[in-house]
Amino acid sequence: MTIESLNKQRVRHLLDAFARGDIDAALACCTDDVSFLTHAPIDVLPHMAPRHGKSELREFWQTVLSRYSDIRHKTLHILADGDAVATYMQAYFRKRSNDRIMQFDIAVFYSFRDGLVSEIREIIDSYDLVQQVLEREIGPLITDGQPGEG
Amino acid sequence: MTEHSLWRFSRALHRAINDRRFEEIETLIDDDVEWALYGPIDMFPFLGARHGKDAVLAVIRQIADNFHVRRFERESIMLGVDSAASMLRYSLTALDSDKPISLRVAQFAQFRAGRLISLRVLIDTFDLVEQALGRAIHLPKMSSAG
Repeated sequence: MTIESLNKQRVRHLLDAFARGDIDAALACCTDDVSFLTHAPIDVLPHMAPRHGKSELREFWQTVLSRYSDIRHKTLHILADGDAVATYMQAYFRKRSNDRIMQFDIAVFYSFRDGLVSEIREIIDSYDLVQQVLEREIGPLITDGQPGEG
Repeated sequence: MTEHSLWRFSRALHRAINDRRFEEIETLIDDDVEWALYGPIDMFPFLGARHGKDAVLAVIRQIADNFHVRRFERESIMLGVDSAASMLRYSLTALDSDKPISLRVAQFAQFRAGRLISLRVLIDTFDLVEQALGRAIHLPKMSSAG
């Protein structure tokens, strides 16, 4: 098996572990100094701030799992090249507060060191994500010039 | 060694956007291409999904009408046989306002016989909207629900 196939398998393993809520198994795929960065507005979604190390990542994943259930990922593309893997996924999260489903596309880039994930970087259509989290359109807030007035 | 299709496509795309030279990009797009730039299409009409070469060329012309690419940097790149994934940082200028815009983008491309057959692009769109507005969007902090 090539290193690329192995790393793809490792990413799938991490994603499956997270989706079933097994944070220990997901963290076991990561280096102690794993870094996590998602490009999202952290003033609106403060829990999505950058994380460094397993304990900070554990705290982030616990927060997500406390708010969402039935987490599923459909991987549309997965590419590996040396110690890096990129995935393009459709993600589905059910809000525990009201059972509404959030659905969004997400690109995740993983870097590996010694067979473990050392870096996770995500890009999401963050405008749409915020609307789904807030359950409201942001556009009228901007054009009305009220909450958005800077 | 043959050059990966991504490099030819990328050069042609930038030539089309910056120099309005569309002849090369036309030859590198499949007739049945699937194209999607995800984001708020009510604010940015060139975002959204397109099918087919003509629709994609029209959207590239729209992008060329609105932006100039000052610089771009590939922060991460993975090449498959007929596919590529990259994370890029773009520095653009909005032509109507001369305003600088900086974007982080994830791009997944698939090729067949050297032609683009699928492109999916994800953008940190909240940041894009704030830059286009020239101010922050103040929304309630989601300390427990988000």
